[in-house]
Amino acid sequence: MSPLSLTERPKLSPRARLQSDKVTGRPILLYPEGVLVLNPTGQAILGLCTGELTLQEIIARLAADYQAPAEHVSKDVIAYLDRLRAINLLETPATAG
Amino acid sequence: MVQPAPRPFSLLAEVTHRCPLHCPYCSNPTEFPPVGDELTTAEWRRVLNEAAEMGVLHVGFSGGEPLQRPDLAGLVAAARSAGLYSNLITSAVGLSRDRAAELRTAGLDSVQISFQSDEEPLANLIAGTRVHAKKLEAAALVRELGFPLTINVVLHRANIGRLPQIIALAEKLDAERLELANTQFYGWAFQNRLALLPTRAQIREAVEISFAAKERLKGRMEVIFVAPDYYADRPKPCMHGWGSRHLTVNPRGDVLPCPTAGGIKSLRFENIREKSLHWIWAGSESFNRFRGTEWMPQPCQSCEFREIDFGGCRCQAALLTEDAANTDPACALSPFRDRLAGIVESVQDAPAAAFAGGPGGIVYRENPR
Repeated sequence: MSPLSLTERPKLSPRARLQSDKVTGRPILLYPEGVLVLNPTGQAILGLCTGELTLQEIIARLAADYQAPAEHVSKDVIAYLDRLRAINLLETPATAG
Repeated sequence: MVQPAPRPFSLLAEVTHRCPLHCPYCSNPTEFPPVGDELTTAEWRRVLNEAAEMGVLHVGFSGGEPLQRPDLAGLVAAARSAGLYSNLITSAVGLSRDRAAELRTAGLDSVQISFQSDEEPLANLIAGTRVHAKKLEAAALVRELGFPLTINVVLHRANIGRLPQIIALAEKLDAERLELANTQFYGWAFQNRLALLPTRAQIREAVEISFAAKERLKGRMEVIFVAPDYYADRPKPCMHGWGSRHLTVNPRGDVLPCPTAGGIKSLRFENIREKSLHWIWAGSESFNRFRGTEWMPQPCQSCEFREIDFGGCRCQAALLTEDAANTDPACALSPFRDRLAGIVESVQDAPAAAFAGGPGGIVYRENPR
């Protein structure tokens, strides 16, 4: 996988479905043969991955919301998105068909 | 001490055992109950709702060929309204444009199409019928309608040499997931295991090719290689443990811990026509028989891997040792290891069997009557 560029507009893959878990009430991401339980950070990141904002804008937005230094946020966000990319749950212009 | 039952996460809904294909590696039972016994639409709706209430998240509509059920879209809609993520596990035979659009509208989430090979003559020979061209059309249709597509190819001695071409086909079809699943020897496949089991050299090469593809395609297509447990030293952690995460409901409503458990003749499986799905999952003798680790014989009982591979597969133990409670012979520590090793050694230098039916040849899957 090539590194994500700050100008890309990440978008949650349509193969994934976000819903709340009937048993625990927690947000979960369902996809073929898998499930990801989202923590509040994950939920905040994914909520912004609609294909409209660039990665840079997402980081700026989260840094403001969490009042955290952008370089820390950037590291966390990129690591999280890379995890999603590894299981093919993120579309970027390079991967969108 | 009785532990509370764990939460189930996935349901395999085998809505019919009827299938237009005759693949000799099919893991369906070789003896079917009569077709007329299939669950009704209303009974399946009940199963789906009860499963969702218990915490199940994924439902796979399978079979046989699930498209043989005219009410499939209704079942998909019921799954969707229950909050289940649905996957259609299909040969694609019967997936017309109208049918696919109907399933899309009903809320189907993803589609998994089986391929027998990348090249038409071999693919049709394996399926026992002319279906390859239809599958190609259906796969294109699935992507056109926006479904995520998984391609599943069951690997065996006759097609494992086509692995690079099979991977290329999945890329061309724009699959997001490719399952390269070595034949698991249950049902019809068990009868044909001497013809289907690849050689050690074939497996070694296949592992290399598939792992290279996995790396190369990361982020575009997920490549899953299911290794053949006949060549393993440790058994597969079958179903992540008996009655631990998964349940299967077969066409007549029997509830099974895995799709092939019906072959274990020492167990009596409960039916949703008589009991609730929850009662069967949590309270039935069949689901509790091999839960946890207390049932385990030696060497499993004192093995450091007992909660990693759970003693392997109960169905395989039953098939190869006549007792489902024995250690799976796919484990090198099993006292019955020789039963599997004998089969493995016998295929190494044997010429590949001709892929044809008839006396002495491959047994093609037949349909329930």
